[in-house]
Amino acid sequence: MQRPSDETLIAYLDGELDEPDTLEVIRALACDERLQAHAERLNASARLIRAAYDDVLREPVPDRLIAAARGDRGLSALQRALAGLARWRLALGERPWWIGVPVAAALAGLVVGGGLGFIAGTEQTASLTAQQDLVTAGAGTNWLDSIAGYHKLFVKAGANDRALMDVPADATGDAARKAGQLPADFRLPNLKPWSLEFQGARLLVIDGRPATQLFYTTDNKNLGPLTFVEAESSKSDLAPTFDRREDLNILYWRHHGHAYALVGTTDIGYLWNIYNDIAWQLDAI
Amino acid sequence: MSAPFNDQLVAVLPRLRRFARGLTGSAVEADDLVQAACERALARAHQFQPGTRFDSWMFRIVQTVWIDQLRAREIRRTESEDEALGTGTDEPTRRVEARMALREVQAAMAVLPAEQRLALLLVTVEGLSYREAAEVAAVPVGTIMSRLARARVALLAKLGGGALRGSTEDAKAE
Repeated sequence: MQRPSDETLIAYLDGELDEPDTLEVIRALACDERLQAHAERLNASARLIRAAYDDVLREPVPDRLIAAARGDRGLSALQRALAGLARWRLALGERPWWIGVPVAAALAGLVVGGGLGFIAGTEQTASLTAQQDLVTAGAGTNWLDSIAGYHKLFVKAGANDRALMDVPADATGDAARKAGQLPADFRLPNLKPWSLEFQGARLLVIDGRPATQLFYTTDNKNLGPLTFVEAESSKSDLAPTFDRREDLNILYWRHHGHAYALVGTTDIGYLWNIYNDIAWQLDAI
Repeated sequence: MSAPFNDQLVAVLPRLRRFARGLTGSAVEADDLVQAACERALARAHQFQPGTRFDSWMFRIVQTVWIDQLRAREIRRTESEDEALGTGTDEPTRRVEARMALREVQAAMAVLPAEQRLALLLVTVEGLSYREAAEVAAVPVGTIMSRLARARVALLAKLGGGALRGSTEDAKAE
Protein backbone atom coordinates (compact mmCIF):
# COMPACT_ATOMS: atom_id res chain seq x y z
CA MET A 1 0.00 0.00 0.00
CA GLN A 2 1.33 3.40 -0.95
CA ARG A 3 2.13 5.75 1.91
CA PRO A 4 -0.02 8.89 1.62
CA SER A 5 1.74 12.19 1.03
CA ASP A 6 1.99 14.78 3.82
CA GLU A 7 -0.55 16.85 1.93
CA THR A 8 -3.04 13.98 1.91
CA LEU A 9 -2.35 12.97 5.50
CA ILE A 10 -2.83 16.53 6.77
CA ALA A 11 -5.99 16.92 4.70
CA TYR A 12 -7.24 13.70 6.30
CA LEU A 13 -6.45 15.02 9.79
CA ASP A 14 -8.26 18.24 8.92
CA GLY A 15 -11.32 16.30 7.74
CA GLU A 16 -10.97 17.60 4.20
CA LEU A 17 -10.77 14.34 2.25
CA ASP A 18 -13.66 12.67 0.50
CA GLU A 19 -14.75 9.20 1.59
CA PRO A 20 -12.64 7.06 -0.76
CA ASP A 21 -9.46 8.99 0.06
CA THR A 22 -10.29 8.92 3.76
CA LEU A 23 -10.64 5.14 3.70
CA GLU A 24 -7.35 4.83 1.87
CA VAL A 25 -5.54 6.87 4.54
CA ILE A 26 -7.20 4.88 7.31
CA ARG A 27 -5.98 1.65 5.71
CA ALA A 28 -2.48 3.04 5.38
CA LEU A 29 -2.46 4.15 9.01
CA ALA A 30 -3.69 0.76 10.18
CA CYS A 31 -0.63 -1.04 8.85
CA ASP A 32 2.10 1.56 9.36
CA GLU A 33 3.17 2.44 12.89
CA ARG A 34 5.61 5.09 11.72
CA LEU A 35 2.82 6.76 9.81
CA GLN A 36 0.64 6.62 12.92
CA ALA A 37 3.39 8.28 14.94
CA HIS A 38 3.84 10.92 12.25
CA ALA A 39 0.08 11.63 12.27
CA GLU A 40 0.08 11.92 16.04
CA ARG A 41 2.95 14.40 15.92
CA LEU A 42 1.07 16.43 13.33
CA ASN A 43 -1.99 16.43 15.56
CA ALA A 44 0.09 17.45 18.55
CA SER A 45 1.67 20.30 16.61
CA ALA A 46 -1.77 21.50 15.52
CA ARG A 47 -2.89 21.60 19.15
CA LEU A 48 0.19 23.62 20.01
CA ILE A 49 -0.37 26.04 17.15
CA ARG A 50 -3.93 26.69 18.30
CA ALA A 51 -2.85 27.07 21.93
CA ALA A 52 -0.10 29.49 20.98
CA TYR A 53 -2.65 32.16 20.08
CA ASP A 54 -5.48 31.39 22.48
CA ASP A 55 -4.35 33.97 25.00
CA VAL A 56 -5.23 36.72 22.54
CA LEU A 57 -8.89 35.75 22.77
CA ARG A 58 -8.85 36.25 26.54
CA GLU A 59 -7.27 39.70 26.39
CA PRO A 60 -9.59 42.69 26.73
CA VAL A 61 -10.15 44.29 23.35
CA PRO A 62 -8.62 47.80 23.35
CA ASP A 63 -11.11 50.66 23.35
CA ARG A 64 -9.70 52.06 20.14
CA LEU A 65 -10.62 48.88 18.28
CA ILE A 66 -14.15 48.83 19.65
CA ALA A 67 -14.47 52.47 18.68
CA ALA A 68 -13.10 51.68 15.22
CA ALA A 69 -15.59 48.82 14.82
CA ARG A 70 -18.49 50.96 15.92
CA GLY A 71 -17.45 54.18 14.19
CA ASP A 72 -18.39 57.58 15.61
CA ARG A 73 -21.78 56.27 16.59
CA GLY A 74 -20.14 53.71 18.86
CA LEU A 75 -18.04 56.35 20.58
CA SER A 76 -20.99 58.56 21.39
CA ALA A 77 -22.94 55.55 22.60
CA LEU A 78 -20.10 54.67 24.93
CA GLN A 79 -19.95 58.17 26.34
CA ARG A 80 -23.71 58.23 26.70
CA ALA A 81 -23.65 54.87 28.43
CA LEU A 82 -21.09 55.89 30.97
CA ALA A 83 -22.94 59.11 31.71
CA GLY A 84 -26.20 57.23 32.12
CA LEU A 85 -24.71 54.61 34.38
CA ALA A 86 -23.10 57.28 36.51
CA ARG A 87 -26.52 58.86 36.99
CA TRP A 88 -28.03 55.50 37.86
CA ARG A 89 -25.24 54.85 40.34
CA LEU A 90 -25.97 58.15 42.04
CA ALA A 91 -29.65 57.25 42.27
CA LEU A 92 -28.99 53.78 43.62
CA GLY A 93 -26.26 55.00 45.93
CA GLU A 94 -28.83 56.90 48.01
CA ARG A 95 -31.08 53.98 48.63
CA PRO A 96 -31.23 52.91 52.25
CA TRP A 97 -31.48 49.18 51.65
CA TRP A 98 -27.86 48.93 50.56
CA ILE A 99 -27.00 49.03 54.23
CA GLY A 100 -29.39 46.23 54.98
CA VAL A 101 -28.39 43.96 52.15
CA PRO A 102 -26.79 41.21 54.25
CA VAL A 103 -29.75 41.19 56.64
CA ALA A 104 -32.28 41.12 53.84
CA ALA A 105 -30.40 38.35 52.13
CA ALA A 106 -30.26 36.31 55.33
CA LEU A 107 -33.98 36.78 55.94
CA ALA A 108 -34.69 35.60 52.44
CA GLY A 109 -32.78 32.45 53.16
CA LEU A 110 -29.74 33.59 51.31
CA VAL A 111 -26.40 34.55 52.73
CA VAL A 112 -23.56 35.14 50.38
CA GLY A 113 -20.08 36.13 51.45
CA GLY A 114 -16.48 36.33 50.43
CA GLY A 115 -17.21 35.78 46.78
CA LEU A 116 -18.56 32.29 47.47
CA GLY A 117 -22.20 31.46 47.72
CA PHE A 118 -23.68 30.10 50.90
CA ILE A 119 -27.30 29.21 50.80
CA ALA A 120 -29.43 28.29 53.77
CA GLY A 121 -32.91 26.94 53.30
CA THR A 122 -35.25 24.69 55.20
CA GLU A 123 -37.33 22.92 52.58
CA GLN A 124 -34.92 23.06 49.71
CA THR A 125 -31.71 22.29 51.48
CA ALA A 126 -30.61 19.51 49.17
CA SER A 127 -31.21 21.31 45.91
CA LEU A 128 -29.86 24.57 47.22
CA THR A 129 -26.75 22.83 48.49
CA ALA A 130 -26.22 21.52 45.01
CA GLN A 131 -26.67 25.02 43.68
CA GLN A 132 -24.24 26.37 46.24
CA ASP A 133 -21.73 23.78 45.07
CA LEU A 134 -22.22 25.06 41.57
CA VAL A 135 -21.48 28.59 42.67
CA THR A 136 -18.52 27.49 44.72
CA ALA A 137 -17.11 25.62 41.78
CA GLY A 138 -17.46 28.63 39.54
CA ALA A 139 -16.27 31.24 41.99
CA GLY A 140 -12.87 32.25 43.18
CA THR A 141 -11.13 35.38 44.28
CA ASN A 142 -12.04 36.95 40.99
CA TRP A 143 -15.15 39.09 40.76
CA LEU A 144 -15.92 37.81 37.29
CA ASP A 145 -15.71 34.22 38.49
CA SER A 146 -18.24 35.07 41.18
CA ILE A 147 -20.81 36.76 38.97
CA ALA A 148 -20.49 33.95 36.44
CA GLY A 149 -21.14 31.50 39.26
CA TYR A 150 -24.19 33.43 40.47
CA HIS A 151 -25.50 33.59 36.93
CA LYS A 152 -25.27 29.81 36.72
CA LEU A 153 -27.04 29.46 40.03
CA PHE A 154 -29.91 31.61 38.78
CA VAL A 155 -30.16 29.70 35.53
CA LYS A 156 -30.11 26.37 37.33
CA ALA A 157 -32.75 27.46 39.83
CA GLY A 158 -35.01 28.83 37.10
CA ALA A 159 -37.42 31.72 37.19
CA ASN A 160 -39.95 29.91 39.35
CA ASP A 161 -37.69 29.45 42.34
CA ARG A 162 -38.96 32.36 44.40
CA ALA A 163 -36.68 31.44 47.28
CA LEU A 164 -33.86 32.97 45.30
CA MET A 165 -35.66 36.24 44.56
CA ASP A 166 -35.13 38.97 47.13
CA VAL A 167 -37.11 41.37 44.96
CA PRO A 168 -39.72 39.51 42.86
CA ALA A 169 -40.59 40.88 39.45
CA ASP A 170 -44.02 42.02 40.64
CA ALA A 171 -42.55 43.85 43.63
CA THR A 172 -40.79 46.62 41.77
CA GLY A 173 -43.88 48.82 41.37
CA ASP A 174 -44.98 51.93 43.20
CA ALA A 175 -46.32 50.01 46.19
CA ALA A 176 -42.97 48.42 46.80
CA ARG A 177 -41.27 51.75 46.56
CA LYS A 178 -43.72 53.34 48.95
CA ALA A 179 -43.19 50.46 51.34
CA GLY A 180 -39.48 51.15 51.28
CA GLN A 181 -38.51 47.84 49.70
CA LEU A 182 -37.00 49.72 46.82
CA PRO A 183 -35.76 53.28 46.50
CA ALA A 184 -38.34 55.73 45.12
CA ASP A 185 -36.14 56.47 42.13
CA PHE A 186 -35.34 52.86 41.33
CA ARG A 187 -35.63 52.13 37.61
CA LEU A 188 -35.61 48.73 36.08
CA PRO A 189 -34.04 48.32 32.62
CA ASN A 190 -36.84 47.24 30.29
CA LEU A 191 -35.49 44.57 27.98
CA LYS A 192 -38.85 43.41 26.59
CA PRO A 193 -37.94 44.63 23.10
CA TRP A 194 -35.26 41.94 23.26
CA SER A 195 -37.90 39.44 24.42
CA LEU A 196 -36.15 39.41 27.79
CA GLU A 197 -38.60 39.20 30.68
CA PHE A 198 -37.52 40.45 34.11
CA GLN A 199 -37.98 37.69 36.70
CA GLY A 200 -36.65 39.31 39.83
CA ALA A 201 -33.55 40.47 41.60
CA ARG A 202 -31.23 39.14 44.20
CA LEU A 203 -29.27 41.17 46.68
CA LEU A 204 -25.81 39.72 47.08
CA VAL A 205 -22.47 40.41 48.62
CA ILE A 206 -19.66 39.65 46.22
CA ASP A 207 -16.09 39.93 47.43
CA GLY A 208 -17.46 41.61 50.55
CA ARG A 209 -19.37 44.31 48.70
CA PRO A 210 -23.10 44.76 48.01
CA ALA A 211 -24.31 43.77 44.60
CA THR A 212 -27.63 43.49 42.81
CA GLN A 213 -28.27 40.82 40.24
CA LEU A 214 -31.23 41.29 37.90
CA PHE A 215 -32.46 38.13 36.21
CA TYR A 216 -34.04 38.08 32.74
CA THR A 217 -35.33 35.12 30.77
CA THR A 218 -36.52 34.61 27.22
CA ASP A 219 -37.75 31.85 24.93
CA ASN A 220 -34.98 32.84 22.54
CA LYS A 221 -32.18 30.47 23.48
CA ASN A 222 -29.74 32.48 21.39
CA LEU A 223 -30.23 35.42 23.71
CA GLY A 224 -31.02 34.36 27.22
CA PRO A 225 -31.19 33.87 30.09
CA LEU A 226 -29.28 36.97 31.02
CA THR A 227 -28.23 38.64 34.25
CA PHE A 228 -27.26 42.25 34.84
CA VAL A 229 -25.09 42.89 37.89
CA GLU A 230 -24.38 46.16 39.60
CA ALA A 231 -21.99 46.21 42.54
CA GLU A 232 -19.81 48.47 44.59
CA SER A 233 -16.16 48.55 43.66
CA SER A 234 -13.02 50.16 45.03
CA LYS A 235 -11.17 49.81 41.75
CA SER A 236 -10.50 52.53 39.21
CA ASP A 237 -12.80 53.14 36.26
CA LEU A 238 -12.70 50.65 33.42
CA ALA A 239 -14.14 50.93 29.92
CA PRO A 240 -16.56 48.20 28.82
CA THR A 241 -14.52 45.05 28.44
CA PHE A 242 -15.27 41.58 27.15
CA ASP A 243 -14.32 38.39 28.98
CA ARG A 244 -15.39 34.77 29.20
CA ARG A 245 -15.92 32.19 31.91
CA GLU A 246 -16.49 28.72 30.52
CA ASP A 247 -19.47 29.10 28.18
CA LEU A 248 -20.47 32.52 29.52
CA ASN A 249 -19.76 35.83 27.84
CA ILE A 250 -19.33 38.79 30.16
CA LEU A 251 -19.36 42.46 29.26
CA TYR A 252 -18.23 44.46 32.28
CA TRP A 253 -17.16 47.95 33.19
CA ARG A 254 -16.47 50.10 36.21
CA HIS A 255 -17.42 53.68 36.84
CA HIS A 256 -17.09 55.88 39.92
CA GLY A 257 -16.89 53.17 42.51
CA HIS A 258 -19.34 50.78 40.91
CA ALA A 259 -18.90 47.72 38.77
CA TYR A 260 -21.43 46.56 36.19
CA ALA A 261 -21.69 43.40 34.16
CA LEU A 262 -23.92 41.70 31.65
CA VAL A 263 -23.63 37.92 31.79
CA GLY A 264 -25.03 35.30 29.44
CA THR A 265 -24.28 32.71 26.83
CA THR A 266 -25.38 35.05 24.06
CA ASP A 267 -22.68 36.38 21.77
CA ILE A 268 -20.82 39.59 22.44
CA GLY A 269 -22.64 41.44 19.65
CA TYR A 270 -25.97 40.98 21.45
CA LEU A 271 -24.38 41.95 24.75
CA TRP A 272 -23.11 45.17 23.23
CA ASN A 273 -26.55 46.01 21.85
CA ILE A 274 -28.22 45.30 25.18
CA TYR A 275 -25.55 47.30 26.97
CA ASN A 276 -26.28 50.28 24.70
CA ASP A 277 -30.00 49.86 25.25
CA ILE A 278 -29.65 49.80 29.04
CA ALA A 279 -27.41 52.84 28.89
CA TRP A 280 -29.92 54.67 26.70
CA GLN A 281 -32.80 53.84 29.06
CA LEU A 282 -30.95 54.94 32.15
CA ASP A 283 -29.75 58.08 30.42
CA ALA A 284 -33.33 58.96 29.51
CA ILE A 285 -34.51 58.72 33.11
CA MET B 1 -24.39 51.84 9.06
CA SER B 2 -26.70 49.14 10.35
CA ALA B 3 -26.32 48.17 14.00
CA PRO B 4 -26.05 44.44 13.23
CA PHE B 5 -23.04 45.13 11.02
CA ASN B 6 -21.26 47.03 13.79
CA ASP B 7 -22.22 44.37 16.29
CA GLN B 8 -20.83 41.61 14.12
CA LEU B 9 -17.64 43.58 13.76
CA VAL B 10 -17.32 44.05 17.53
CA ALA B 11 -18.09 40.39 18.10
CA VAL B 12 -15.35 39.20 15.77
CA LEU B 13 -12.69 41.57 17.14
CA PRO B 14 -11.03 39.01 19.45
CA ARG B 15 -10.58 36.58 16.57
CA LEU B 16 -9.35 39.33 14.25
CA ARG B 17 -6.76 40.27 16.86
CA ARG B 18 -5.63 36.66 17.13
CA PHE B 19 -5.41 36.34 13.36
CA ALA B 20 -3.52 39.62 13.05
CA ARG B 21 -1.19 38.65 15.90
CA GLY B 22 -0.29 35.52 14.00
CA LEU B 23 0.31 37.44 10.79
CA THR B 24 2.40 40.24 12.24
CA GLY B 25 4.00 38.56 15.24
CA SER B 26 3.52 41.79 17.17
CA ALA B 27 0.74 42.86 19.51
CA VAL B 28 0.96 46.54 18.60
CA GLU B 29 1.18 45.96 14.86
CA ALA B 30 -1.67 43.47 15.08
CA ASP B 31 -4.00 45.98 16.73
CA ASP B 32 -2.99 48.65 14.20
CA LEU B 33 -3.80 46.17 11.47
CA VAL B 34 -7.19 45.29 12.97
CA GLN B 35 -8.04 48.96 13.37
CA ALA B 36 -7.19 49.66 9.74
CA ALA B 37 -9.21 46.61 8.68
CA CYS B 38 -12.23 47.81 10.69
CA GLU B 39 -12.08 51.19 9.05
CA ARG B 40 -11.86 49.59 5.62
CA ALA B 41 -14.72 47.22 6.44
CA LEU B 42 -16.97 50.08 7.52
CA ALA B 43 -16.16 51.95 4.32
CA ARG B 44 -17.01 48.87 2.27
CA ALA B 45 -19.86 47.50 4.34
CA HIS B 46 -22.13 47.61 1.32
CA GLN B 47 -19.93 44.99 -0.34
CA PHE B 48 -20.64 42.39 2.33
CA GLN B 49 -23.20 39.86 1.18
CA PRO B 50 -25.69 38.86 3.88
CA GLY B 51 -25.85 35.13 4.29
CA THR B 52 -22.13 34.68 3.77
CA ARG B 53 -19.61 34.25 6.57
CA PHE B 54 -18.81 37.57 8.16
CA ASP B 55 -15.64 36.30 9.83
CA SER B 56 -14.23 35.07 6.51
CA TRP B 57 -15.01 38.41 4.93
CA MET B 58 -13.16 40.20 7.71
CA PHE B 59 -10.19 37.80 7.58
CA ARG B 60 -9.88 38.64 3.92
CA ILE B 61 -9.88 42.35 4.64
CA VAL B 62 -7.27 41.91 7.38
CA GLN B 63 -4.97 39.95 5.11
CA THR B 64 -5.50 42.43 2.25
CA VAL B 65 -4.60 45.36 4.49
CA TRP B 66 -1.64 43.39 5.80
CA ILE B 67 -0.36 42.72 2.29
CA ASP B 68 -0.82 46.40 1.44
CA GLN B 69 1.22 47.33 4.49
CA LEU B 70 3.93 44.82 3.64
CA ARG B 71 4.19 46.28 0.19
CA ALA B 72 4.24 49.85 1.45
CA ARG B 73 6.98 49.43 3.99
CA GLU B 74 9.34 46.90 5.38
CA ILE B 75 7.91 45.61 8.58
CA ARG B 76 10.36 45.37 11.39
CA ARG B 77 9.23 43.67 14.50
CA THR B 78 9.69 46.21 17.27
CA GLU B 79 7.96 44.56 20.09
CA SER B 80 8.79 41.32 21.77
CA GLU B 81 5.93 38.97 22.41
CA ASP B 82 7.31 38.30 25.86
CA GLU B 83 5.22 41.06 27.36
CA ALA B 84 2.07 40.01 25.55
CA LEU B 85 2.53 36.47 26.76
CA GLY B 86 2.60 37.78 30.31
CA THR B 87 5.03 35.24 31.66
CA GLY B 88 5.13 35.76 35.39
CA THR B 89 7.88 34.69 37.72
CA ASP B 90 5.38 33.45 40.28
CA GLU B 91 3.67 30.99 37.96
CA PRO B 92 4.05 27.33 38.70
CA THR B 93 6.89 25.70 36.84
CA ARG B 94 4.55 23.71 34.63
CA ARG B 95 2.79 26.79 33.40
CA VAL B 96 6.05 28.56 32.71
CA GLU B 97 7.21 25.57 30.69
CA ALA B 98 3.96 25.56 28.81
CA ARG B 99 4.35 29.25 28.05
CA MET B 100 7.86 28.64 26.79
CA ALA B 101 6.56 25.92 24.50
CA LEU B 102 3.92 28.24 23.11
CA ARG B 103 6.51 30.95 22.61
CA GLU B 104 8.61 28.43 20.72
CA VAL B 105 5.63 27.76 18.46
CA GLN B 106 5.12 31.47 17.84
CA ALA B 107 8.79 31.90 17.03
CA ALA B 108 8.63 28.99 14.61
CA MET B 109 5.50 30.44 13.01
CA ALA B 110 7.17 33.82 12.60
CA VAL B 111 9.89 32.49 10.32
CA LEU B 112 7.52 30.67 7.99
CA PRO B 113 6.94 32.25 4.58
CA ALA B 114 4.03 34.69 4.82
CA GLU B 115 1.72 32.71 2.54
CA GLN B 116 2.28 29.54 4.55
CA ARG B 117 1.67 31.38 7.82
CA LEU B 118 -1.56 32.75 6.39
CA ALA B 119 -2.79 29.28 5.41
CA LEU B 120 -1.88 27.91 8.81
CA LEU B 121 -3.66 30.69 10.67
CA LEU B 122 -6.82 30.44 8.59
CA VAL B 123 -7.18 26.66 8.74
CA THR B 124 -5.44 25.45 11.88
CA VAL B 125 -6.03 28.41 14.19
CA GLU B 126 -9.28 29.91 12.89
CA GLY B 127 -10.83 26.63 11.80
CA LEU B 128 -11.83 27.63 8.29
CA SER B 129 -12.30 24.89 5.72
CA TYR B 130 -9.81 24.66 2.87
CA ARG B 131 -12.38 26.14 0.53
CA GLU B 132 -13.11 29.05 2.85
CA ALA B 133 -9.40 29.66 3.42
CA ALA B 134 -8.83 29.61 -0.32
CA GLU B 135 -11.52 32.26 -0.78
CA VAL B 136 -9.98 34.46 1.90
CA ALA B 137 -6.49 34.10 0.44
CA ALA B 138 -7.82 34.38 -3.12
CA VAL B 139 -5.98 31.26 -4.28
CA PRO B 140 -7.12 27.81 -5.46
CA VAL B 141 -7.94 25.15 -2.86
CA GLY B 142 -4.99 23.07 -4.03
CA THR B 143 -2.64 25.95 -3.27
CA ILE B 144 -3.97 26.25 0.27
CA MET B 145 -3.56 22.50 0.67
CA SER B 146 0.07 22.50 -0.41
CA ARG B 147 0.98 25.65 1.52
CA LEU B 148 -0.60 24.20 4.60
CA ALA B 149 1.24 20.91 4.25
CA ARG B 150 4.58 22.67 3.78
CA ALA B 151 3.90 24.84 6.81
CA ARG B 152 2.85 21.95 9.02
CA VAL B 153 5.83 19.82 8.07
CA ALA B 154 8.22 22.76 8.52
CA LEU B 155 6.78 23.46 11.95
CA LEU B 156 7.03 19.82 12.87
CA ALA B 157 10.72 19.92 12.04
CA LYS B 158 11.25 23.14 14.03
CA LEU B 159 9.30 21.86 17.03
CA GLY B 160 11.03 18.51 17.10
CA GLY B 161 12.54 19.48 20.44
CA GLY B 162 10.93 20.39 23.71
CA ALA B 163 7.67 22.01 22.69
CA LEU B 164 6.24 19.11 20.76
CA ARG B 165 7.66 16.47 23.08
CA GLY B 166 6.05 18.21 26.04
CA SER B 167 2.74 18.48 24.24
CA THR B 168 2.77 14.82 23.31
CA GLU B 169 3.61 13.82 26.88
CA ASP B 170 0.79 15.99 28.18
CA ALA B 171 -1.62 14.36 25.78
CA LYS B 172 -0.52 10.91 26.87
CA ALA B 173 -0.83 11.88 30.53
CA GLU B 174 -4.44 12.87 29.90
